[in-house]
Amino acid sequence: MFPAVSPRSRGVAVLLAWLAVASPASGQGLPSEPISVAGGRLVLGGEFTGTIAPEDPGFFNYTDYEYSALRNFRFGISAEVKATDRVQLLAEVRLDQGTVFEPYGLYVRIRPWPQHRFDIQAGRIPPTFGAMTRSAYGSSNLLIGQPLAYQYLLSIRPDAIPANVDELLRMRGRGWESSFTVGDPTPGPGLPIVNTSRWDTGVQLHGINGLVEWTGSATVGSLSDPRVRENNDGRQLAGRVVVRPSAALSVGASVARSAWLDRALDPALPAGESIAGMRQTAVGADTEFSSGPFLMRAEVIRSTWTVPELSVPIIGDPLVAMSKLLEGRYKVAPGFYLALRGERLDFNTLMGTQRSAPWEAATWRIEGGAGCSITRNILLKGAWQRNRRDGGRVRADTLITAQVLYWF
Amino acid sequence: MALAGFRVLVGLAILGIFPGVSPEGAVGADSHVRAKRASLTSDASPSRAQARTTSPTGIRGRLDIRRIARPVERRPDTAATGAPGPRDVPDLRHGVVYLDTAPRSAFDEREPARAVMDQLNERFVPHVLAVMVGTVVDFPNSDRTYHNVFSLSRAQRFDLGRYAAGKSKSVRMDRPGVVRVFCDIHSHMNAFVLVFNHPYFDVSADDGRFALPAVPPGNYTVVGWYEGEARVSRPVVVPANGWAELDLVVP
Repeated sequence: MFPAVSPRSRGVAVLLAWLAVASPASGQGLPSEPISVAGGRLVLGGEFTGTIAPEDPGFFNYTDYEYSALRNFRFGISAEVKATDRVQLLAEVRLDQGTVFEPYGLYVRIRPWPQHRFDIQAGRIPPTFGAMTRSAYGSSNLLIGQPLAYQYLLSIRPDAIPANVDELLRMRGRGWESSFTVGDPTPGPGLPIVNTSRWDTGVQLHGINGLVEWTGSATVGSLSDPRVRENNDGRQLAGRVVVRPSAALSVGASVARSAWLDRALDPALPAGESIAGMRQTAVGADTEFSSGPFLMRAEVIRSTWTVPELSVPIIGDPLVAMSKLLEGRYKVAPGFYLALRGERLDFNTLMGTQRSAPWEAATWRIEGGAGCSITRNILLKGAWQRNRRDGGRVRADTLITAQVLYWF
Repeated sequence: MALAGFRVLVGLAILGIFPGVSPEGAVGADSHVRAKRASLTSDASPSRAQARTTSPTGIRGRLDIRRIARPVERRPDTAATGAPGPRDVPDLRHGVVYLDTAPRSAFDEREPARAVMDQLNERFVPHVLAVMVGTVVDFPNSDRTYHNVFSLSRAQRFDLGRYAAGKSKSVRMDRPGVVRVFCDIHSHMNAFVLVFNHPYFDVSADDGRFALPAVPPGNYTVVGWYEGEARVSRPVVVPANGWAELDLVVP
């Protein structure tokens, strides 16, 4: 069920042991607080999550790294170097499955005027779009599964495209191993609407003015496919505004637009069309309300992808995906909470030779669970997850999953 | 299915079960202001202050903390799109001095007291509070943001939920022990409430001075506590008429 112990896993164990010894606050055990070095100039934090679940025959929880988010051991270390009052360097590295090493974030943060809440971040930066892109995993996630919009693999790929509607419809519900005739013929994972498996690279501006918080960014990848290096000469522009009329309520809106296909597909495009013209455009709205033991979140995302018109029946309209999510948490007792999430993905209908159908299979998920804190920084979660979709070989599955989470 | 789950959540909310939270639960802004005017620690109440000067016997001295602890840093929030706002760091110069075992008279029934642990600029004020069993501790939120005070300590488990600036919630400390207090939203916020079943304790002053007034004559062990641990203990004899002088060093 679990990956074999690799040299990297042993490295993680050694690192954990070192952290336990290195932390002045740890006493006899693992650290319970961030590790501060050089008078607070360097601060290290960490998070370990171990998640177990049975096989997911419908691949509902697979990420584009081709493993299930419900069967994973992840160890992440984050670091903050305070160079000056104005300049900080932030980094986060993650090790998934004991083998997949990802420098998740690495960027410099500049606050030109320390007395004002205005920052410039440059490098591999956190996502601008959406409410849950920064909290879809680990201690910020109320449940264990990630929201569908941020993880569920659609059939579309940046390096391969369907020649026509029929070809696209044949891939409904097969996003974990999608293949098309134009571009890379090797079957591979498709893209989620918003990809939280990795961060994009670029520049981000952020400010807070009274009740309004705003963020804008220019990056090299797309919402579905964040990248370290650009692959299509396109730039993603993204923006987000959050208004907090009271401490209890926040309302946010996001927008992002970018080219999304790889330039390797350029020769396959009809005359007059370019990779830069094939865009993913997404808009989102979200809200969070919390009071006493209650926390409620809702988010709606609409994303479109333009696809070249190659052969009949042509894909004349942009592909549209719509995500709706509602989740809540209620603290039943000190250290114990219940949570519930309902979500749904819908897609626009295309007309093929034989039939009309949504270009991807509509997908639903309901997940309910509980969290129990053993100590402040060790949390056990258990969840029941029911997945269902309107297509694919496996149309539904039910999973019981558990997670242990430790952070410092 | 989703509707049924939501009904369950709503039903649980109506039940409102939060062990450890006193019936006062949430109190309004007015009582918050009144509570702030009250003493910050129960040992600073008028009767105790009076006892310091009028008591014929007791133990006094200085708790010398040689190495002041560093405040807990914020966790590096790499997922943030900007730097967090400014915060105050807690005052970590104070320890607690108390009698390890108390005379029988210490357990006489007393009026329940009230104490305040404020939340201001992402810190608890004071960082260390010492109270007697039965004391109701108010946790007003004097910040601009939400806070969620909770404790998973064996002595007192409670979770006050999220509440906004100007609101206050309270907890009655029912059992002796060390209650580690945290904020569920700001992980660097932490504080201690030491709950005693006798009145012979004191939070050391900025200069380390402490006084345990009205300790009956006899032999005792005095303990110096600092940042989660009893760090030093010393025997002391309280004379029949007069104060015992004692200095404690926390290395």
